[in-house]
Formats: sequence, structure tokens, C-alpha cells
Amino acid sequence: MAADENNLADRSGRLFESQKGYDPRVVLFYLIIAALLIVLISGLAYQQLFNAELHAERESSQNQRRILIPGPRGNIYDRNGQLLVGNRPRFAVILYLDELRAKFRAEFIRIRKNYRAADDKDIPTADQLWTLARVSVVQSYLEQINAIIGRDLKVDSVRLNTHFSRELLLPYPLVEDLAPAEYARLLEHLPVVSPLQLYTTNTREYPFGSAASQTLGYVGINEDVEAENFPGEKLRTFKQRGSIGRDGLESKFDSLLQGEAGGAIFRVDPLGYRLRDAKPIESRLPTQGQNLVTSLDIDLQLAAEAAIGDQTGAAVAIDIKTGEILALASKPDYDLRKFAPRLGHADAADITAREAWTNLAIGGAFPPGSTFKILTSIAGLRRGVLDPTQAIADCQGVIRIGNRDFVCDNRRGHHGEVLLPEAIAHSCDIYFFGAGRLITPDVLAEEGRRFHLHERTGIELPHETGRMVIPDPAYKEKVIGEKWFPGDTANMSIGQGYVLVTPLEMACFAASVARNEVFTQPTLLHNPDAPVQHTESIGLTASQRAALVEGMVGTTTYGTANTLNLDLFKIPGVRIAGKTGTAQKKVTKEGKTGNINYAWFICFAPADNPEIAMAVMIEGETLGENFGGGRYAAPVAGSVLKKYFEKKNRPADQKLAPFKIE
Amino acid sequence: MPKRFDQARPFLTLGFVVAAWLVVPTVFKTFTRASFFELTAPVGVAASYARDLQEYWTLRLHSNSELIEAGRDLARLNASYDLAVQQNIEMQGEIARLEGILRLPSYTGYRSEHARVVRRDFSGWWQRLTIRKGKNYNLTVGAPVVFSGGVVGRVSEVFAYTATVDLISSQTVRLAAVVEGDTRPISYQGGLNPTFGSAGGVIEFVPLDIFASANATKRLVTSGLGGVFPPGLTIGSVIKVEPSTDGLFKSGEVKLDDRLAALTEVTVLLPLDTP
Repeated sequence: MAADENNLADRSGRLFESQKGYDPRVVLFYLIIAALLIVLISGLAYQQLFNAELHAERESSQNQRRILIPGPRGNIYDRNGQLLVGNRPRFAVILYLDELRAKFRAEFIRIRKNYRAADDKDIPTADQLWTLARVSVVQSYLEQINAIIGRDLKVDSVRLNTHFSRELLLPYPLVEDLAPAEYARLLEHLPVVSPLQLYTTNTREYPFGSAASQTLGYVGINEDVEAENFPGEKLRTFKQRGSIGRDGLESKFDSLLQGEAGGAIFRVDPLGYRLRDAKPIESRLPTQGQNLVTSLDIDLQLAAEAAIGDQTGAAVAIDIKTGEILALASKPDYDLRKFAPRLGHADAADITAREAWTNLAIGGAFPPGSTFKILTSIAGLRRGVLDPTQAIADCQGVIRIGNRDFVCDNRRGHHGEVLLPEAIAHSCDIYFFGAGRLITPDVLAEEGRRFHLHERTGIELPHETGRMVIPDPAYKEKVIGEKWFPGDTANMSIGQGYVLVTPLEMACFAASVARNEVFTQPTLLHNPDAPVQHTESIGLTASQRAALVEGMVGTTTYGTANTLNLDLFKIPGVRIAGKTGTAQKKVTKEGKTGNINYAWFICFAPADNPEIAMAVMIEGETLGENFGGGRYAAPVAGSVLKKYFEKKNRPADQKLAPFKIE
Repeated sequence: MPKRFDQARPFLTLGFVVAAWLVVPTVFKTFTRASFFELTAPVGVAASYARDLQEYWTLRLHSNSELIEAGRDLARLNASYDLAVQQNIEMQGEIARLEGILRLPSYTGYRSEHARVVRRDFSGWWQRLTIRKGKNYNLTVGAPVVFSGGVVGRVSEVFAYTATVDLISSQTVRLAAVVEGDTRPISYQGGLNPTFGSAGGVIEFVPLDIFASANATKRLVTSGLGGVFPPGLTIGSVIKVEPSTDGLFKSGEVKLDDRLAALTEVTVLLPLDTP
């Protein structure tokens, strides 16, 4: 054997090399290998120990997807628990595209085979074939639905492709807004386990249509739904569209009404399809937002809107003690039901054309006309320049102030020497021109500011105008750049000239006068335990106040608003203290320039123990038309007051049980 | 070594069969399964006939006086049924008149096919019955099945002489239901029922103004809107409803009729346009 080995060694020269000792070249090789191994191990250790989180994150972002589903918004109720804005379910049939991978592939192969079999030269590209396959498969599912509910629906390939590429994990809505009968048929005919499923989304529901539309507001689409405290913020996320408040209370209290989004995290394959039968790694159900209980009384709101009818104007009713708004009507308005699920272009154009977007009760500033005379009276009484027992002017229908004649627009006659109560009741301009001259514009403006008529009320609504003006000589000089004239004082004393207020401000003013205080903070939120508001006293003596109230009651009994004395508006046992106003404003309509009238009425009732205050403003349509507050605005207030006392005096057994919100 | 091999042989054989079953074509599997049911059906049917015969002889053993008494009770029952039938005819006439006035579409007419229950399967996996009629009586898949207490389920498979009925306690059955006195359709589906427990189901999409509890149950009936079941058939009693988190609906639980577990005869309703 050893001999053989020697022979072999001899034949090959050197079959085996034996290495004894350490060859420097081998040592170097070992060192290089060792260095490489150290680098490799260090790299691995670094990646594993220090970058583990990063890799885990990358792994998650590659094979996990997150779905967010918005929560339904909270409901909005009136003060008696009547639902003003709720949610209406929308039944839909949806298809989970991510469960159809095998079907898409089979259809792709079938279509391609058909093209090849037909020897078609214009064979579509692979992308086109995939699109065809997807449309074909989805249409086959849609045919099942068509057969069950008797429709003839076709797949929108563009929408399908967009959904497939961007929102694969979200259900694809095949049919939306199913009728109850269709939903019932599908319940019984669709297999329980299928990529086709019945699904509910929701949209806003408005049981009262256009009632309080600008106050309640509307919602728009929210593409950016967020889910607080739901993991996976860095994962690729598919979001279902939610809603966001765009106007009114929906906008102001959006964060309260907004529901909490739910969601789920799924594992997906490299192509983004959900793993078959995979349960979500994380899931959370969406929850409804909080409910909002407003101070509105829907019965009064409807009464106010019905009374305004097709006219342009606003009416505000306010609880004197708490400042809670009972009705906030503005016309023209819009039907909120047209916003659910979304407003069409034609309807939006129609609202714009009718100028119905603006809530005139808070968004429009108008000259208050003779309703301002109550402020003039208070200013004069407080400063001692007016005495209820003394006449300050002799109304002969016209008076010259500066170099201009000012006429008494009311009663078209001569009031003669009248005292304050009669001057208020008959709205004698000559009396108040005289009063204004005695009071002086600065004092009158100061009184207006004392009643906060120069600033926003701060009601919980967006878009409250800031264009209200209580002018004084400094204002005119600064804004108009002109000197203040005695005629300006005359105009201001009867609520004309530069004076601008909102109907809401005048309602708050009426409530403040009723409470014998200078400010009423309005609110649209109902609090059953709300305390009575208290601010600074107006500062009238008992006799001065009695004269003021006597004049206001006279307005509704024998004065400019004696329409409220008609049987139609008469409320047994209730005296109404009010004041009419008719303001003019120069406008240009259809190329013609002229005066347009604003009919006003402010009031509170009962006069002796006030509970409710109101302000109504109706805008005249025709240039130069006599559009008096007693004739056009007072009846609106009369209707609302009648409804208020009718509800209040309703026997207990006819009252609805108070609504409880859990 | 051979001895150990002998010991493992049954397992190897089983493994081989399982492996073979996995690779055989689907057509063969389907054929085998269908054949199995068709071949075993006569056994079940024969057993059912034997049970009927047994019951017959049990009845034969009763004394004459017992039979006379039972006959008298039966005659009374028949008389009351006759009266109910008369009332039903009158009521149907009134309904037809009102439907005519309101121009309502008429509901689908049904042909009744009564069938004896051959076998009952209740487990956590499925809840179903096998009945003694099949293609020989033109039964169709999906046909509604009822009994005197209301809904039984739907036909899920039809064989030559037998058919399988999925009970409403099965998770595979879903109906469009209404709470008695209401018109809004809600979804009823069989629940996850234990083998020996009482059967139940779940309801979803229940309007928020519907209330029910174990002490104040509400009767759940078929809506008739789904196009499968005629309206007004009892499904069960709603024993619990609670609001879902989204605030849009409530969901709840339904207790089904205990007699579902002891049915001996059911009626399959076949739409009249079915051949």
C-alpha cells in the first residue's frame, strides 16, 4: 500500500501538499477572512441591535395596510329633544376587490387566450388586458345584483381602475343608496359568504328640510379622516371619505360632532392584496360623535319661517332670562336635504342665484330705523334731557334742521305736542329729531356702545358680520372723511344715516331692555339649568321705565303695530311691548337707483314680566315701495309669540315628555 | 424491522389514501361525494319509514277508549281549524280587496310540499335537517321551509329523493325580517349555536326606536320583501337589542322556537312559477 502511494506520488509529481508551520500568505488570508467576518458580524449586529426598529417599521410598511373608517357625526337636537339633524343610513352593495385576485388572473388568461385564438393583430397591452379582466369580473358580480333587484347597471371602468390602484383594500361600492325593498331582496338572495356584501354608510338627515338651514349649516366631504390613538400612522393608509362641517353649527361644533374614526390593519402580499382569510392585526369600531342640544325651539322656528314666507328677511326670538336663542330664521334659505349625500352643481347655483347662503340674522347689517328710538329714548331719559311728562317738540309733519327739511314719515299727519309714550307708540320722528339734538351724537353713540350694538355678539356661529356701525362725529371724520352735521344727528336718532345693526343684535337689545339691563349674551346652546343673565342696569328710574314700556305697549295696541291687536295675533292676557321701524337705504336694482325699505319690529312679552324678546327685519323688494314695520314685520313676531304662548299654556297632559339624551 | 413496518402499515395506508385523495381531480371528488349522499339517502329514508311504522304500531296499542277520546279531540280540533280556514278565506278576500284599492302588487303564490324529517344534524358546524323529498317532488335549492311555528330554514341541497335544509339557526341563513308591527326591514342571521344549547340568531340594522328585552320580547317575522319567504311568518322572539357604537342602528339577539330541534314534518314552499 505504501509502495503504491509512493508510486502515485512519483507519477503525479505532487498530489498532496503538506503545509507545515504558518505560511505568511495563509496568515494574511486568514486575517482578511477574519476582518471580513468581523465587518459582516458588526454590520449584522448593528442592523439587528441599532436598526431593528427601522427594519420592523419597513417590514410593516411593506406588508401591512391600514384602513380608516370615519365615525358618524353626532345628532343635533332642539331644546325639547326634537331631532334637527341626524344620520340616515345608506345601504350599499360592495365588492371586496382584494378577494378577487385569482378571478382577475383567470379572466386575464381567458381574455388573452381569446385574442390569441382569434389571431388578433391588435392584441391589447398587458395593462389593458388587466383592466378588461377586472371590468369583466366586476361586471359579472354586478349582473348578479342586477338580476336580483331588476336594474341594468354597468361598471364604470375609470372609477374601478382608480379604486383598484388607490384604494384596493377599501370595499368598492357597486350600488349605493339601495331602496329598503332592494336591500331586503339582497339580504335573502346574496350568499352569506361572498366578496359581495351589504354595507351601510351614512349621510346627514334633516327631518325639517330647510328649517334653520343657515343656522344648522351643512357638511362637506372630508378626505382626510384621522383616527386618534389608532396605531400604524406610518403605514400606507386607505381612508374612507368622512364629512366635515362647512357652515353653521355643523362647522362651529365640528370637533364635538365629529365621530371617532375606526379602522383596521391587515397583512397584505407584495402586490397589495389582503392575505386570504387574514384577520386584522388591529381593529377598532368607529363611534358616533357627541350630540348637540341647541336652544332652538323648532315650533317657533317653523312659525317664524312660515310667517316670513317668500319675503327676504330675518327673525330672531330670544329667551330673555338666559339669552338662549329660540328661533333664528333667515329667508331665503335652502333645503338641507339637497346636501345629502352631496349638493349638485345646479342646486348650488340656484342657492347662489337666490342669495340664500347668507344668514341675514347675523350676516347682514341694516339700518334699524325707528326701532333705534328706544335707544334714543333711554339715552335721553338717562341724561335727563327727556322728561316723560314734558313735550319737547310740536310735530307739524316737517322740521328744518340745518339747511334741510326733515319730515315725520309716520302717520302722514301732525302728531302735535306729544309726550314720550305717544311719541314711541306713534313713532313720531319730529319728537326724536328734537331728542337727538338734545342728547348730542356722542352721547347717543356712547349709549349704543353701552348696549354693545357696535360689536359682534359672539354667538356660536361662523360668519357673524362685523359691519355693524354706531357712528359718531369721529367715525364720520375717519371713515367718510367728512364733518358731522346736525342732520346726521337727526338721522342717527331715528336709526338712519350711518347706523347699521344685525337683527340678532336688535333681538339682544330688546331682551336687555326687557330685563332693564344693558347686554344680553346670546347663545345657541341649551342648558336647562342656565342661570339668569345679569349685567349692568340700564339706569332708568321706575317712572322713566314705566313711560318707556307704556310707549312700547302703546305701539302694539294703538300705535304703529296695532295689527297685533287683531284677533289673529291677540294673545289673551299677554301685553306685548314693541317698537316698529322702517329704514331706507339707497340701492341700485336692475339699473335703477332708489330707496329700498327695511321693515323692522322689536318687542318683548309679556310686557309686565318679560320672557321672550324678538327682532324681525323684512327687506322690501321694490324701490320706493312703502314697506312699514307695523305691516310687514310685526305680524311675523305676532305669529311667533302666539305659538310661544300657545305652547306654554298647553295643558300638561298635551305636552310631550322631555327628551333625554344618553 | 418488518414487525415495526407491520405496525406502521395502517398509518401508512391512511397517509397514502389521504395523499391520493388530495391529488385526485375535483370532478372525481364531487362525483364521489354526490354518490355517497345518493347511496346513503335510502338508508336514512328506510330508517325514517321504520320509525313511522314504529309510531303506527305504538298507536295501535292504545285502548279503544283512548282512541275514541283522541278521535273526539281531533274532531274538535278539526272543527276549530275549519272555522279558522273560513276566517282565513274571508281575511284573504279582504286583503285582496284592500290590495286592489291600493293597487299593491300581489305576493308570490306558493305550492306547499309537506315532507317528513329523516335526520337532524345539530353541531357547532352546521344546523340542518334532511327531509324525505327531493328532485322527485321538484324541490329547488333556496326554497323556503316552514312549520306550524314559523320559519324552519331554506333548502340548501337537493338530491334524488332527499333534500338538505339549512335551519334558521345556521349561520349560512340570512333573512329580511321585520319586528312585528313595523315595516322597516332588518337583517336576521343564524347565530353561533352550541350543539346542545337552545338555538338563536342575531339581528342587525335594527332601527334605533325599537326596544326589546328578555322581559319584553318582540316577535320577529319575515318581511316578505326579500322575495323568498312570504310575509308574517314567525322567526323567533327578539330578547335583546342594544345600540351599536356607530349610533346608526341597534343589533340584537333572537331566541328561536325550541320545536326546531324536534321537528318531524315540515313544509317546503315552492313558488308557483317553479316547474
